[in-house]
Amino acid sequence: MDEARCERLRDWLARAADDAGLAITAIERLVGGAIQQNWRLTLRRGDGREERWVLRTDNPATLAVSHGRIEEFALLRAAHAAGVTVAEPLFVCEDSGVIGAPFLVMRHVAGIAAAHRVVKWDAIAGGREAASRALRRELARIHRIRPPRSDLAFLGDPPADPCLAFCAEQERALDAAGPHPILEWGLRHLRRTAPPPIAPSLCHNDFRTGNILWTEQGLAAVLDWEFAGWGDPHADLGWLCARCWRFGNLAMEAGGIGTRAALYAGYVEAGGAVPDAARVAWWELAAHLRWASIALAQGARHLSGREPSLELALTPHIVPELEWHILREVASREAGLERAA
Amino acid sequence: MSGVLEHPDAAALLTIARTTVLEEILPALPETHRLTARMVANALGIAQRMIAVDPSRLTALEARATALVRSGQDPWAALCALIRSGQADPGTECHAAVASLLSDLAQLRCETSAPKTLAGG
Repeated sequence: MDEARCERLRDWLARAADDAGLAITAIERLVGGAIQQNWRLTLRRGDGREERWVLRTDNPATLAVSHGRIEEFALLRAAHAAGVTVAEPLFVCEDSGVIGAPFLVMRHVAGIAAAHRVVKWDAIAGGREAASRALRRELARIHRIRPPRSDLAFLGDPPADPCLAFCAEQERALDAAGPHPILEWGLRHLRRTAPPPIAPSLCHNDFRTGNILWTEQGLAAVLDWEFAGWGDPHADLGWLCARCWRFGNLAMEAGGIGTRAALYAGYVEAGGAVPDAARVAWWELAAHLRWASIALAQGARHLSGREPSLELALTPHIVPELEWHILREVASREAGLERAA
Repeated sequence: MSGVLEHPDAAALLTIARTTVLEEILPALPETHRLTARMVANALGIAQRMIAVDPSRLTALEARATALVRSGQDPWAALCALIRSGQADPGTECHAAVASLLSDLAQLRCETSAPKTLAGG
């Protein structure tokens, strides 16, 4: 961030925080974030206190399905108010003239999110079982947020049938991505076997290892709310437990971190309904489809020429592995249906 | 020179470039740049495997798709339309043939982009 932007940012933050003496003493871009840019700000407040905040803004090209920073700020506020463990949202700036794009500012939370480290960390949050329960407790709190909510009006009306709405959305994504018959095969199976609709809740829609900040003491923050929306709460469970999000630690079905049993128990203890295993299984297969279409969309950002990036260029090469597991899962589910018939 | 173009050929150059990135450059890099170097090596590996694919395998898969869809348009797009319409659902005449084609397609796509998957990784 150049000097002029830093200066404008300082002035804007000083007004937002009502602290004319506020100074930015360090600004550092954080690694990661294919869709957003995150910057850690170290500040000295007018009274001499040092504070750390995180500024989050958009990359030049963003996925059409992700929310902007203003909407993400509203989601963070709603989650914070519902007791979800998130970084405290502080300010949002809609004026692109300050740093070049709208941004939000939240309090910095220390911890580790890197998925490949987290899944190998036995002492995480006091142990894997405790970590699983913490995951589900957070999900239960998120899922207690139900429509209608005027502060979340930008999410639109909840889908009448979240599973079929998912199928329709994925069909549109595949139409945009070009022919992928294996993904089409998985999607057709999902459409044929979609469970009936249930009452919608707020879904985080990217609640997985890598988007959760951990310390040895516990779950420090649920990150990355840009895909949140109204839907079937089992979608979050399926996303978390999907094989593709266990980062190689396949036996730990809850995101490579803990057991599925502890995850479900934590949800019930936190006041959630007993998860429907068949419905979660449907959403686990759906997770592979969704991750594949996100990967293709990320590749398209590179291919568009607007955002050349090695990381984005490599992302679609994840798709064949996802297809491999989709084919096997569909075959296994079809065999089960045949036996049951 | 062997043929029109000089040797080593594209595959051999990608192989040695990848080995050099992994064995010489990566160990000398600070931690902050190692992920990028691994991505470079990964990209070179995928490119290496893609150009090594026997074109006759691609032709054969496409011929099977064309035979299934019996259409003059892009056979893969037509196959997608066939699947989406339900005409390849379990119990239909072409279900087994489509499943078999997709299995072979998945095999080839993993061989190039994700060979560890085929080894059970």
